[in-house]
Order: sequence, then structure tokens, then C-alpha cells
Amino acid sequence: MRNRVLGVAAVVASLAMLATACGGSEGGDAGASSDAEPTGTISIWARDSQQGFMSELVKLYNANHKVQAKVTIIPASSFVQKLGTAASSGSGPDVSSIDLVYAPYFASAGALEDITEMADALPYKDALSPSHRRLSAYEDVTYALPFTAEASAMYYNKDLFKKAGLDPEKPPTTFAEIRDAAKKIRALGSDYYGFTFAGACGGCNVFEFTPHVWASGGDVLSEDSKTATLDSPQVTDALQLYRDMWTDGSIPSAAKNDAGTQQIPLFTSGKVGMTPLGAFAIPTMEKAKVNFGVTPIPGKDGSEGSFAGGDVISVITGTKNEAGAKDFVKWATEEEAQSFLAKNGSVPVRTDLVEKIYNTQGEHYAVFGRLMGIGKTPYSVVENPIFNDNNGPWIKMINDAVFGGDIAAAQANGQKAAQALIDGG
Amino acid sequence: MASPAIILIGTFFLVPLIMTFWISLHNWPLLGKHRFIGLDNYQRALNDPAFGTALKFTLLYTLVITPILFVLGLGLAMLVRRKVRAAGVFQSIFFMPVCIGFAAGSFLWLYLGQSQIGPLFDLLRRAGIVDRDSNIFAGMWTALLMVIAMVTWKVVGLQMLLLLSGLQSIPDEVVEAARIDGAGRWQSFLHITLPLLRPTLALVLVFSVAGSLLAFDQFFIMTGGGPSNQTITAVYSIYRNSFISFKLGYGAALSVFLMAILAVVSAFQMLLLRNTDHH
Amino acid sequence: MTRYMKDVRSSMPHIAWWVVCVCLALVFLYPIYVMLGMALKGPAEQGLIPPTLFPNAPTLENFSRLASVQGLNVFGNVANSVVVTLAATVGTVLVATLAGYALARAKFPGSGILFFLILATFMIPFQAIITPLFMVLKTLGLNNSLLGLVIVYVTFNLPFGLFIMRNSFAAVPHTLEEAGQVDGCGIFGGLRHILLPIVLPGVITTALLTFFASWNEFFAALILITDQDKFTLPVTLTLVSSGQFGTVNWGSLQAGVALTIIPCIVIYVLLQRYYVSGMLSGALK
Repeated sequence: MRNRVLGVAAVVASLAMLATACGGSEGGDAGASSDAEPTGTISIWARDSQQGFMSELVKLYNANHKVQAKVTIIPASSFVQKLGTAASSGSGPDVSSIDLVYAPYFASAGALEDITEMADALPYKDALSPSHRRLSAYEDVTYALPFTAEASAMYYNKDLFKKAGLDPEKPPTTFAEIRDAAKKIRALGSDYYGFTFAGACGGCNVFEFTPHVWASGGDVLSEDSKTATLDSPQVTDALQLYRDMWTDGSIPSAAKNDAGTQQIPLFTSGKVGMTPLGAFAIPTMEKAKVNFGVTPIPGKDGSEGSFAGGDVISVITGTKNEAGAKDFVKWATEEEAQSFLAKNGSVPVRTDLVEKIYNTQGEHYAVFGRLMGIGKTPYSVVENPIFNDNNGPWIKMINDAVFGGDIAAAQANGQKAAQALIDGG
Repeated sequence: MASPAIILIGTFFLVPLIMTFWISLHNWPLLGKHRFIGLDNYQRALNDPAFGTALKFTLLYTLVITPILFVLGLGLAMLVRRKVRAAGVFQSIFFMPVCIGFAAGSFLWLYLGQSQIGPLFDLLRRAGIVDRDSNIFAGMWTALLMVIAMVTWKVVGLQMLLLLSGLQSIPDEVVEAARIDGAGRWQSFLHITLPLLRPTLALVLVFSVAGSLLAFDQFFIMTGGGPSNQTITAVYSIYRNSFISFKLGYGAALSVFLMAILAVVSAFQMLLLRNTDHH
Repeated sequence: MTRYMKDVRSSMPHIAWWVVCVCLALVFLYPIYVMLGMALKGPAEQGLIPPTLFPNAPTLENFSRLASVQGLNVFGNVANSVVVTLAATVGTVLVATLAGYALARAKFPGSGILFFLILATFMIPFQAIITPLFMVLKTLGLNNSLLGLVIVYVTFNLPFGLFIMRNSFAAVPHTLEEAGQVDGCGIFGGLRHILLPIVLPGVITTALLTFFASWNEFFAALILITDQDKFTLPVTLTLVSSGQFGTVNWGSLQAGVALTIIPCIVIYVLLQRYYVSGMLSGALK
């Protein structure tokens, strides 16, 4: 009997809980924010890829602010899921650093606070990275400020270039030159490969492959991001380049299932000629004592492309300390914070500061600093399922086309699946 | 005395379970508003080729790995049955990987099989089984074999122990009596030992089949669903719908679907167990 | 001579048996050896092709890297793991023993349903109910708390524990217990003084299974805990071993794996005698 009562109680309890869960995001009215200096504490979430500098950055902030911030690092692979779960139940942080490609999704779902007023009042508003600004807005409301930036470029091994009879100061600038250089390096010996990429990593390739498409004058999404354009001829050309390098034997088989874990070790082993990566890899490369150069990712017949990646920083809906949260978000774009970040691997998000605090660190950095200005980013609320998902249509298309060979079929399938995701919203 | 257990299971298992049913009747995004859509999610699941493929792959995996675990588990149990001290030592060694977590085991084997830098890859290359340029995780069957090797290594010890307990419950006299009656070693195993082992076999079967149908970690870590999404299991697909596409309602419907399949399969196996109880 | 005969009766000659067992043991131990070796290799040696069999210059660098990641309190996280695991183990053993006894002995209404529910927990993909579970914990104010995590672990380890304990109690003859009750022990006294020593292997089995499961659990810990200081070891290790854009430091990863595996193996080796006999007496039925 006890049992039955408990059973009924459980059902009632579950319904009651659903009712509260259905309430969605309440809170949010943190009272009229006053002009006095904000106080209290705030919690900040960041991803593990930022653990190298995040806690130091927060220390810097805490040293001369009344608000005291505390940072929590979340595994990147589960970040969206965790922030989503927490925000949907109102137990999220006050501030979060978010990979900018996810910003439209969180903004559209109501997880981020409107900070339009504050953003518009910034004196250096127009100098902020254009791509970051575009992704921080949803339906003309600003939900985030640029925080860290990252651009993609091609790393190449100067020693191998020399050995293969190529000019190490003249890296390839067209598809044909890439293929040719890769072939020559491959010819150095059975251990040597011309090129590698992360063939099973969606996020890596949106960062490192789409620049080929952009530089060729194409795109992967239409201007209004309502239509996928994975079947465009510029995508075909770029896939054809990779396919050719694969059939030439210039790409190691490890690339086929590389989820991003092998690209750097392969390059630092000194036996791979070229690989596209971000500025984040510079310190690793320098430590590995590879004699490398950095050059823009080319299009089919020249031109250059880059992915403007990085993070934006937002106030999360339901924060109990809105004034404090906003204060940190604003500070994060100021010179003090950006200078610190520049020394720790991030390209500054302010074009007015790039020359002064970033390019001075060395020639490699200067390349990324320049590319930041031309970088693009796909804007979509379904960016994650289409591009970053390692089982999504984007990486499946690349993998099927490059290693399978039927480029047209791979593109058709990819296009269809991506469009279905956009339409299904 | 059972009430603490009832309260725990009721609150933290039954309630979430009922909520899962409830959510499955909604269009329920991770963030934002949800609305009631009745059985639409279920209808969609029936016509979802991606889930169909995942289900098929899960069944394939279960069909391949179950007999492997079974035969090896039984073989090991027969081996360590001897009444010598060394048998106990070997039994402990065979069981040791059981205490390692699935995630830790997967990471370990992922490294073992990496192209070029992986020690197991290196051994296979020296043995002439793989090419120096090849990549174990790049082919669906080789990747699957690698996962199966890892799972076998990790769980066969448990199967061995369960089967051993069954073997030891069979009185020696029964087998010996058969042998005196002139039955050969193989015959007495086939006609005496195996039938008497049936309750244990059924139990082992239920555990191993349920475990295989719910496989997730090992594929998530070792193959990432690749190559070309060919190794996505049912739970993997639920995970993707819920936490990558954020369609909690649809993910919940798929879960309910999978639960139903599991219930049928397990009930069938339980029946097997029940029947043998009367012997 | 007769003893020897009895041993060989099973199937194969002595020497062949040794050869087969030693080979199999090598196969089973090989991955563990590789993991330990890799964890001790320095950065230069980790990427060598082909890989070295022994670490040339053993170093604890990988482990010290684990401890030195800024902002992360790895030792605090280890302490969390220890506390959560021990609490979950004690909790599971207590609850499972009580309920196992009830299920095996006292017939109460709904015991059939309870047992069915227990079996049902085996068949639920855990990922499927994590979101509702999160909502429940939130409602009870138990999210982002180690206590909440303990409760979740107890709940999800309960089924197997119950299964083992029920069968352990069922294997004890009624008469033994009745004798105790006549002696004036009462139900609880009987449970403690007479039955418990007999079902001890079952208790240890339950404890060890819960220990291994809780110590290794990653997914629930990741979703339910939102404060870095409350992370458990598996979550922390994912943070340490992964770099930007999916890069992996294999050495640190194997050091992390070693760190998670070694306590389990040590405990297993120490308690395996009980564990094995517990499995043998309990799991059967």
C-alpha cells in the first residue's frame, strides 16, 4: 500500500515539476541598474581551450574592481550542451564566453541579455571585429561583445620546401601551386607528406576549409543564411584540390579519421609540408623547433581567405548581478584586457589595437593580425548541427568527397542534409 | 526496509522517466518555448533514415559481439576452473580490466590503435597485418573490430566470472556419471553441462545484450561515429538529437522507442530464464 | 596421483594449459602496460614512430602537468571524487542491503513491481533521462551539489546492488535466521549478527561495483555540476588532456587514465578474494 501512495505522489510531483520547468526563463529583472560602481560577485564560464589565460585574466580584473569574478572552465566538446541545460533552468553563470559561431543560436533562444545600449555607447564600437559584431546581433539587437579572436592561415615547413627545391619564401598562392608543392614534398621519401588536414573534424574544417571557398569567391551559406550553398562550384573546386592531393598520395591516411588530434603532431614531426591552422598553434610550433612559415589560405586562382573565429562574451539571462556582469563584459574589450589576451595567443578583437599590441610580437603574428580584418564567419542558428558537429553534413561531405571520390554525390547529399537542418530550424 | 530504495528509485528514476514520456509528446527545444504536438515525434522517428541506420548498426554490433563475448567468456571460465592456485591468479588477471571505466578504456585503445604512433598498430604492422600507411579507424569494419576488441578486453572477465559461478553450481557427480556412462568429453559438455548452465547463460545474455544495445561511450570516443557516420549507435543518435540539435522532444521519443525495443528483447530473454527455472 | 588426475579431467594437458593461460594473461595485461609506459614518457618520446616499448627516460612530467594547469584545482577535484565515491558506495551498500533483505525475505505489497522497476533501470539509456533528472535535482535544490551527485550515483548503482544482495540473502537458509530470532535478536539484530557475516562477500561486491562505477562516471558529473571547484576527476581530466580545436596530448591523457585506473586496480587486487566469491554466490540465480 505504501508503495501505491508513493507512486501516485511521484506522478504528482513530476507534473508539478514540469509545470515549474515550463515556466521557462523567468528572472532577468535585476532591478533598475544604478550608475554607482557595481559590486558583488559574478561567475564566468569559459571553455577548456581558454584555460591558459582565463583565470589570469580574471585575476587582472579582480585586482582593481569592486566586482569579484570567479571563472569555471567547461570542456569545449560539451560546452553548448551544458550552457543550454543550465540556462534553460536558470542556473547558468552571470557571464559566459561563447564561441562566436554559437552566438546566434543562444541569442535566438533567449539565453542572452540585450546589451545594445552599452555596446552602442562604446567609443571604439566601429573598430571591433566586423565578423564578431555580425554574429553578436540577432534581429538588430546586440547580445554580445567581441572577446577573443582567431584567424586561420596555412602553416608550411620551410625546411621541407627547401629540400624539395621550392622557394621557402614563396609559399603557394593558388590551388595548382599547393598541389604541386605537396607532390614535390611527398617525393622526398615514403615518410614525407605534402599536406594534412583534420578529415573527421567539422569545426576544424569550417575554420580551415571554408577560407578556400571564400577566397575563390564562393560561400557555404547564402547572404540571408536561409539557403545552404554546399553544392556551389567554388566548393567543388576546393574539394577537387583535396581529392587530387589524396589520390596523389600527398595526404597521410591518418587524415581520414583525424578529429583534430593529429594535425599538429604530424606537422611538428617535421615530415608534413603544409597544414591549415589558427594562430593558437604558433607557440606549439615554436616549441617543437620546426622552421615554419605562415601564409594566407589561397583561393583557386589566388586571393586570400580566412575564418574569423574566436569568442564573444555575453551576459546570461537570469543573472542576479546584471550591473557586475555588464561591467566585466565591457572591461573585456578594453585595452588592458585585450593587451593581456594578445600576449596569450588571441588576436585582438579591436582593429585599432592590432598594430600596437599584437603585430609587434613577430612576423607570424602579423600575418594573423592582418587576416583578422578580412576573415569571415558563417552566420546561422543551426551552425552547430551543420558545420561543427563531427557527424554533421559538412564534414561528411568533405570526408566522402576527398576519400571516396564521388564529389558530386557528396555535395548533393551534403546540400540536402544542410538545407533540411536550416528548414527544420 | 525497502522504502529508502523505493524513494530513491521513484524520485530520481521513475519521475525523470515519466517526464521523458511527457517531453516526447512535445516539440521541446533545449532553450525557448515548447509546444504539445502529440505523437508527431514518434511518427517522425519511424520515417527517420538516420535513426533507422543507427538502429541497424546497433543490432549488427550486438549480433557480432554477443557470441564473441559468450564463447570467450565460457572458454575462459573453463580454463580457470582448475583447482590449482595459478588458476585463481589468471582469473584475477582476466578480470582486471573490468574495473576500468568505459571512457578510460576507450581512450587507452584509441591510442593503441592510432596510425603510426600507436603501439598496437605498430605490432600489427610488424606482423604484416596492416600497412604502414593504413588507418584502422578509417574503415568501418576495422574500426568496429577495434571497438569490439576493446569491449571484449574490458567486459569478458565479468562474463567469465558469471559463467564460472554457473559452472560451479553444477555438481561434479552429474558430469562424472555421464562420463561413466560412456559419454565423451565433448558430448557431456554439450548434453549435460550446457543445458544445466542455461539459467546462467540467460542471465549473461540479458546483461550483455542490454549493454550492447545501449552502447555509446566506446563509439563516441573511439570512432566519433565515423567513418562517414557509419558507426553511430542508437544511443549516440539520441545524444545527437538531444544535445547537438537540441531537439529534446524528439530525442525523448527516440529513447522511448529504444526502451520499447529493449523491453521486448529482454522480456523474451527473461522468458528463457523463467522456463529453465522449472527444471 | 589421483589429485593430478582430477585436475586434468577438464580438458587439456598441464603444459598446454599453462601456455594458453600465460599468453592470454599477456594479452590482457598488455594495454595496461602500454598505458603506464606512455604516462611515463617525456614529450619527445611520445610521438616517436615507431613507438618505443619501454620509456627511455621515465619522467613524471605528464603527472606534474596534470597538477599544474592554472585555475584548476586537480587535487581538490581528486578529493571531491574520493568523497563522492565513498559516500555513494556507503549509501548504495546500506540501501541495497536493507532492500535486498526485504525483497528476499519479507513479502510486502509491490515487491514484484519494485523488482521489475529495478530490472527496468538496466534498460534505460542514461543520456535519455539526464535532462529531466537535472530538472528534478534543480527543483529539490540539489543541482550543482556533490550531495546531488551522490544521490544520483546511489540510485543508478542500486539495481545491480539490489540484485546481488537479494540473491545473497536468498541463498542463506531460513533456519539460520530463525535460530537468531529465537535467541532474541529481532529482525535488525538478526540481520546484523547472523546474516551480515554470511552475505559479506555480496556486500563487498556491491561496494566495489559502486566504487568503480562512481569513480569513473563522467556524463552526469559534467551535466549536474557547474562549479569548477566541485568537479570530479573524470571531468577535470577531460579538461586537462584536451587542447584547442580538438588537439590531444596523448601523454597527459594516458597519465590521466593511469590516475583513474590505478586506485581501482589496487582496490580490486586487495579485495578481490571477497569480490570474486561475492560474484560467485550473489550473481547467480
